[in-house]
Amino acid sequence: MRDQLDLVPDAILAGRAADGDTAAFEALARRYGPHMRACARRLTGQYADADDVVQEALVQAWKQLESLRDPAAVKGWLLRLTGSRSIDYLRRRRNHTSLSALEEGGAGREPAAAAPGPESSAVAASGTEALKAALSLLPEEQRRCWVLKEFNGQSYEQIAQTLNISPASVRGRLARARITLVREMEGWR
Amino acid sequence: MSIPHDTFECGHTLEELSQYLDTGDFPDPRHLETCPDCRNGLDSLRRLSTAGSELLSKDLAEAGSGNDDWMKDILANLKLELRPGRSIPLRSEHPADTLTETEGSVLALVRSVTDLAPGAVAGRVRLEGDVTVPGEAITVNLDLAVAFGNPLLGSAEALRQDLGEALARHTELNIAAIDITITDVIDTPREEP
Repeated sequence: MRDQLDLVPDAILAGRAADGDTAAFEALARRYGPHMRACARRLTGQYADADDVVQEALVQAWKQLESLRDPAAVKGWLLRLTGSRSIDYLRRRRNHTSLSALEEGGAGREPAAAAPGPESSAVAASGTEALKAALSLLPEEQRRCWVLKEFNGQSYEQIAQTLNISPASVRGRLARARITLVREMEGWR
Repeated sequence: MSIPHDTFECGHTLEELSQYLDTGDFPDPRHLETCPDCRNGLDSLRRLSTAGSELLSKDLAEAGSGNDDWMKDILANLKLELRPGRSIPLRSEHPADTLTETEGSVLALVRSVTDLAPGAVAGRVRLEGDVTVPGEAITVNLDLAVAFGNPLLGSAEALRQDLGEALARHTELNIAAIDITITDVIDTPREEP
């Protein structure tokens, strides 16, 4: 049934991949690649670089699969790796850009090819468009927490690890992000 | 504006409500049933959560399929390193020669024999025992996924025999036992031929 690897449960694929089966690993990559891509795009705000981030996450996944204790949890693990590599990417980019331009809430917020400018929120046709616009206005640190929570399903503790902050800070940033988003989206209601 | 302040007149905060949605923790859960401000706040946060799910669905659709070219490009760039595992010594006719096979190649053999069995897909394979010492008793532990509706017991017995023969033919391992654990059931689409 090997030609049917795409039907096989995650735990089986992850077990095979940990044993060195590249075909099983590629089946996992095809299965969760789109979610990893969506996460990387929303976190980095860059379509072009998101695929590099996904690739880095997959390279790391291949190297570290043997350390994954619960192979059935491979999806969440791949998304956490994607989140971490996205944050790394943003830090690298920050180092290449003038710091003053990247202060929280300043002019340096993500160019966000993924998000429309604020002006389009007034004519947003749907909740998702309004949300995209509101997200693009969030301070970077809050947006990261929100995406890691809502797109990756990460716990406060996992987000804290990814961002190297305390779980209490995660709780606060997530709450502030949601309060701002709710307010920005009042018009959509 | 339904949410004028971060702290409501009842003294609770949106931060508390936000955490309540994620964890279910709230100092006074019964308060949430009666307080109009808190209910309002929760409704707003739930609408936001719904919009978040919708945005994720939309982003997933825009991200395309894992079978598309973008993923093929990524996979082509990965250059996955092989995992040889332990070196298993082989007998040689000339004492000066050192012949070995890799543990990874034995695992691959077990997988390929298993995958040929009808309705079966191999998962993780473990060789228990010191394979680097010739003649050591080795137990093969195999995780197995079986297609829904397959007769599980009969196929495991036949598979054990196939594996024993293949390992005897292609390796010099002293196989003491082959333990097969069915860990997963595969739901195959009904229209499969």
